[in-house]
Amino acid sequence: MVPHDRSQTTSIPEQLFVREQTRRHFFGNAGLGIGSLGLAHLLSDGQFTSAAVTKPGTPGVPQTGHFPARAKRVIYLFMAGGPSQLELFDYKPKLQQMDGQVIPASYVENKRFAFIKKDAKLLGTRRQFLRWGDSGQQISSLLPQLGSIADDVAIVRTVKTEVFNHGPAKLFMNTGFNRFGRPSMGSWVTYGLGSPSGNLPGFVVLHSGPRGPRGGTPLWGNGFLPSRYQGVPFLNGADPILNLSSPGGIDREGQGQFIRAVNRLNALRLRQVGDPEISTRIGTYEMAYRMQSSAPALMDLSGESKHTLGDYGVDPAKASFARNCLLARRLVERGTRFVQLYHTDWDHHGNPGTNLGKPLDQRCAEIDRATTALVKDLKQRGLLEDTLVIWGGEFGRTPQGEPRDTLGRDHHIESYSMWMAGGGVKGGTTVGETDELGYYAVKDKVHVHDLQATVLHLLGLDHLKLTYRFQGRDFRLTDVGGEVVEKLLA
Amino acid sequence: MPRPTTLLLLLLGMSWHSIPVTNAAPPKVDYQKQIKPLLARHCNGCHGAKKVMSGFRTDAGRLAARGGDRGAGIVPGQPEKSLLFQVLTGTDDIERMPYEKPPLKPAEISLIKEWIAQGAKFPADEKVVRGRRTSDHWAFQPIVRAKLPTVNNPAWTRNAIDAFVLSRLDREKLVPAPEADRVTLLRRLSLDLLGLPPSPDQVDRFLADTAPGAYDRLVDRLLASPRYGERWGRHWLDLARYADSNGFTIDGARSIWKFRDWVIDAINADVPFDRFSTEQLAGDLMPGGRLDQLVATGFHRNTLVNQEGGTDDEQFRVDAVVDRVSTTGAVFLGLTVGCARCHEHKFDPISQRDFYQLFAVFNNCEDNNDANALNPKISVPSPAQATERARLASAIVSAEKPLAEHDRRFAAGMSAWEKRLASIDAGSFSTLKPARWTTAKGAVLTRLDDDSLIVDFSVPANDTYTVTLETSLESITAVRIETLTHTSLPKNGPGRGDNGNFVLSEVTVAAAPASGNAKLSPIKITSAVADHSQEGYSISNAIDGNPKTGWAINTKTGSPNVNRQAIFFPAKPIAHPGGSRLVLSMAHNGESANYLVGRFRVSVGTAAPADLKIPGPILAIARTARDKRSKAQQAQLVDAYRGTDSGRKQLSDTLIDLKKRRDAINKAIPTTLVLRERKQPRQTHIHIRGDFLRKGARVLPGVPEVLPPMKTAVPVGTRLDLAGWLFEPGHPLTARVTVNRFWQRFFGLGFVETENDFGLQGDPPSHPLLLDWLASEFIRRGWAVKDLHRLIVTSATYRQSSATRPELLERDPRNRLLARQTRMRMEAETIRDTALAAAGLISDKIGGPGVYPPQPEGIYILTQQKKAWPEAKGEDRFRRCMYTYFWRSSPYPFLPTFDAPDATTTCTRRSRSNTPLQALTLANDKAFFEIAQGVALRILSDGPTPDSQRLRFGFRTCLSREPSSEELGTLSEFLSIQRNRFSQSTKAAIAVAPARRPEGVSAAEAAAWTAVSRVLINLDEFITRE
Repeated sequence: MVPHDRSQTTSIPEQLFVREQTRRHFFGNAGLGIGSLGLAHLLSDGQFTSAAVTKPGTPGVPQTGHFPARAKRVIYLFMAGGPSQLELFDYKPKLQQMDGQVIPASYVENKRFAFIKKDAKLLGTRRQFLRWGDSGQQISSLLPQLGSIADDVAIVRTVKTEVFNHGPAKLFMNTGFNRFGRPSMGSWVTYGLGSPSGNLPGFVVLHSGPRGPRGGTPLWGNGFLPSRYQGVPFLNGADPILNLSSPGGIDREGQGQFIRAVNRLNALRLRQVGDPEISTRIGTYEMAYRMQSSAPALMDLSGESKHTLGDYGVDPAKASFARNCLLARRLVERGTRFVQLYHTDWDHHGNPGTNLGKPLDQRCAEIDRATTALVKDLKQRGLLEDTLVIWGGEFGRTPQGEPRDTLGRDHHIESYSMWMAGGGVKGGTTVGETDELGYYAVKDKVHVHDLQATVLHLLGLDHLKLTYRFQGRDFRLTDVGGEVVEKLLA
Repeated sequence: MPRPTTLLLLLLGMSWHSIPVTNAAPPKVDYQKQIKPLLARHCNGCHGAKKVMSGFRTDAGRLAARGGDRGAGIVPGQPEKSLLFQVLTGTDDIERMPYEKPPLKPAEISLIKEWIAQGAKFPADEKVVRGRRTSDHWAFQPIVRAKLPTVNNPAWTRNAIDAFVLSRLDREKLVPAPEADRVTLLRRLSLDLLGLPPSPDQVDRFLADTAPGAYDRLVDRLLASPRYGERWGRHWLDLARYADSNGFTIDGARSIWKFRDWVIDAINADVPFDRFSTEQLAGDLMPGGRLDQLVATGFHRNTLVNQEGGTDDEQFRVDAVVDRVSTTGAVFLGLTVGCARCHEHKFDPISQRDFYQLFAVFNNCEDNNDANALNPKISVPSPAQATERARLASAIVSAEKPLAEHDRRFAAGMSAWEKRLASIDAGSFSTLKPARWTTAKGAVLTRLDDDSLIVDFSVPANDTYTVTLETSLESITAVRIETLTHTSLPKNGPGRGDNGNFVLSEVTVAAAPASGNAKLSPIKITSAVADHSQEGYSISNAIDGNPKTGWAINTKTGSPNVNRQAIFFPAKPIAHPGGSRLVLSMAHNGESANYLVGRFRVSVGTAAPADLKIPGPILAIARTARDKRSKAQQAQLVDAYRGTDSGRKQLSDTLIDLKKRRDAINKAIPTTLVLRERKQPRQTHIHIRGDFLRKGARVLPGVPEVLPPMKTAVPVGTRLDLAGWLFEPGHPLTARVTVNRFWQRFFGLGFVETENDFGLQGDPPSHPLLLDWLASEFIRRGWAVKDLHRLIVTSATYRQSSATRPELLERDPRNRLLARQTRMRMEAETIRDTALAAAGLISDKIGGPGVYPPQPEGIYILTQQKKAWPEAKGEDRFRRCMYTYFWRSSPYPFLPTFDAPDATTTCTRRSRSNTPLQALTLANDKAFFEIAQGVALRILSDGPTPDSQRLRFGFRTCLSREPSSEELGTLSEFLSIQRNRFSQSTKAAIAVAPARRPEGVSAAEAAAWTAVSRVLINLDEFITRE
């Protein structure tokens, strides 16, 4: 059963009662292992989604969804700033022909833009497009490596979003709503499915590029879901999680003694007052202890072959998108449910440093090899079939150029491109068509909510049923919309 | 193009109107007989007096014509423009009506169309049933004060609360828990009322007070503590979504902490809840409008502001207003009114119109997502600052007077000055014919017909010209050198530099009587003016005695190759009876070769130096008749006149200084964001589907129809009216919602568990009679909050033990029946404050700007902009956690780890999670480790010496109570293991031990006690209110 299954119309008190019953189950077993690290096996379900805390059923077994899952985990490569679909995935000869002309008024009536004006001139791409693989997918020559796995990738050319400023648009992409306060996709997924990782967070966020993604922590926030579902941002240092290292002078053995003493006393208190919350706390200290070794082990790439490092283009000593891709693979191998990589900055308006010339070349070079290596690596390890890889930004870029110093485009929300690969996705397909200028979707419009519904579907979750009651309403990731995009499904 | 349906009608000839088969006019449609029954049959079910979807009623012609949320229903004579007709086939926006029922027959549709085409006539006296939304839902019914129920064991009860609770337990055949022990009670009260644990001393004193009434005295003491205002202020700040930054992606800083301090002060002063709320909702509209009431309106300025480039400010302004409506709904009404933003409320009797009527109440505030200024805001000076500011203001007024008087007098003199200027014959320099000349390095000078001297091509790199001139003028006030262009010079000169420039390093003059052979005397030149000087080559350089500096004439724009002149003024006139002989020396020492003056002419003047210094253009303006001058010329003239005002400087310096001090103090005075009404009210429309760009019907300020009506002092309701309405005696929600939330703070859950949803989807109250009794008691006591809190915490219900019993875990695991107290993990702030208190570090300073306690590295890697975090030194490291600066996009990491709200929307209840990140924080965070060291220091310096005594002391310091022997045993065993550890590694011991340890205590010993203290502050009990 999934929490807050609407079809079962359980009320909040009932849901909580179930939770308490589960705790009671623990309480009943309290005499067995309390006060020693031996308790660990009882609490080995993902610490952020501990079955002991939230779910009935056998602890340690991840939740099952509403229907059979095609994917078990997600790696979401979030290209912050909004990559230009017109340079990468959506080739428009007509736009080339009309380069320099004012966009026909019919396109922009009643439209609002972040920066450009209604009389902005069209900008044909300066890039080459090629056809790749057996499927003949059209991909820019800026992404030759990706081209080599075109048959594994499903491109959506018609993603439609609703807001044209970075912060709100990133929130919309992540939480289905353009203001703060809703849970992010990773939070919903770990809430719905738990996490099989006993020693690492179920939802991890990695970051590369010159600056943090606009929007900050709410992008991976838990919203109104319990805080255990929030994404845990990994830092780029040796200590990927805040407060992971024991204080100076306390080694692993000393830390073990400390945890044991804390939990022994907690167990005595549990006997005095009988509050099941104490047994949960005992579990969290044991898991914290395990994380202290599992997280650094995750970051230690010395076990990776030269070959692998070379494929990804990783310099182990340096933080980079490539290193994060490799870490993402290591995370999903260890059971993390949802990994999100933010890479900045794709906001190519046409200023020096942010334009469709060299800066775009550079961004593409940064991601092409590593992204491709990730997909291939997952495939080779048999993980791709149940790992969903998502690539894309918060919006695309306008067919009109922006009159700035160099070549650039404004934010575009009507239609832009993303791609997916892996678990349950039909590789080698392109979904959707835009009009001859690449402005609007003319076939198979895929709203952000549709995309979110599809991701949940692939994970075996019904987006209409994965709900949480808050302030009198059953909220869901897809707000009041969302339809599964059947054409994307294998 | 017509819609398909319409087309079909046309083809079928169903529309009498459009196909003129005969000349006869279509028959007149009878509203009463043909239309009214049709509408009644198909439409009134959802659009009648009882149920009004989209605010649209069709049960009377007048109402159908007026329309609903989307605007007019009928445009007489124009069916195609009439909503009533459009919906019968559906539009892009609106589903075909009747909704999810078969459509009307084509003939019926045609009939309605024809009726509208004929002008949609209906009888003027048609009766309209007054429909008012009603509901029999419990929360909308008046509060009823029940009589106290009888109970099985009256002896257990301490006040009315207990009678209600016990009567429920009696029915359930449950008995209450025994009273908690006194230490637990003290700690519980202290944490609930102050958010701080009692010190061991306070525990001892309370245990020693065995006289009757000790508990009540304790409650009174705690309610009077200023810490109470901080504790309950923090609860209120959750509701107010208070933060120190603007939110969204840029998330710049804002100054609104004066609001936070206002909340603390008001709660400490026990301001009754009705006034407390009214001042926050509408302090600016209250008669009197005191400064503190303005500060209070910051409540609704805690909304987010999006500073990102390219945003539509109106969109985010609307979002802020929506947030004010939703927050008001959640905080005071316990209703999810925000659900009605886009459509009728799915569950509650709240229409979209209701929502936008509330929206209208808040829609007239000045703020407009104005990211730069964040206006409106006010300065809130301290008393000392206010005094100083007033003093400066009056000093400025005093200083302005003499200056104004001076300016007036001075201005009066301008026309005389102008007249004099016009009369100055400043051009009257007499050209002197050079008598002799020499050059030091061989430059060849030749005299031209106009008495100028020109240097030839053989010019050396540098040279000094010496020219002797004679004049019969008896008093010379100025010597002028004109540098002149000539075709023989590079680029026409006037210099010999490649570009026609020159650098004239020094000019000196010597003089003697013209007749006789008197020796030359050097003339002291005190000032000089030039009609142009190159930047860095001022004319004053030519008389400064420094051979390395000089006067040059290159220009940034325009040609430098024009005639220039410089005038040199002696300290006093050169006066010799019968005239003078002058020797002028012009030295060129420039670094660039050949930068010599190429052609020049010397003349002398006799007018007053002040007049001669007046630039030629100014004189020319003065000579121009006033009505012929351009504006710019007049302004130039005024400026020049001002330049002659030597008396002004002192007066204006005084004023400038005063103003500087005023500006400095104004900058030092904190500002805070407030609400202020616009002079020009905004019109409010319903936003169709919640989209602010799609305006529906216009609405006026109002309240949900299902609730009692709002009385308004003026025709259009204001925020002040809304506040008054909330506290009307008959209002069913405000008191219930508020006491329910108080109860939740003291017992973990409210009677209504869904504390922000008293609507139909909310949970019914567990103790409806008690909820109503407390609500009525709250009103009866004049909304006195401390009184109500006293009532709750002195009840036997509150004083129960929180320990669970097996039968309760089975029957009532969530403690809805209150057969015990509830154990609650403390809030984030309380955890940190408790730890600081245990270490004896906590500061008791109240209020002020946000502070920056130490935080781990790497917090801002994931935000767009790095935030300022100037780590506090001294006391501010140890302030109560509520004063920690709160950046919305990247809060102090400890806070979200322990479920502090993100301050983006109102938070009426915090969740209480239990995660490994919390364990990592308490165990490893640098700040918490320092606290463990602090506790160890207290144990080592305050505690008695034997280990067991020290362990007891440490235990009591952290947990207030005495340890059990088993607990003591565990700690003691741990202590010896740690001693052993640290005695084997000095390095580890030094790393763990506090930096400064008491004399005679080894590092290993101090480290072992730090390890023990660390265990104590990591215990579940340490962060739990029992």
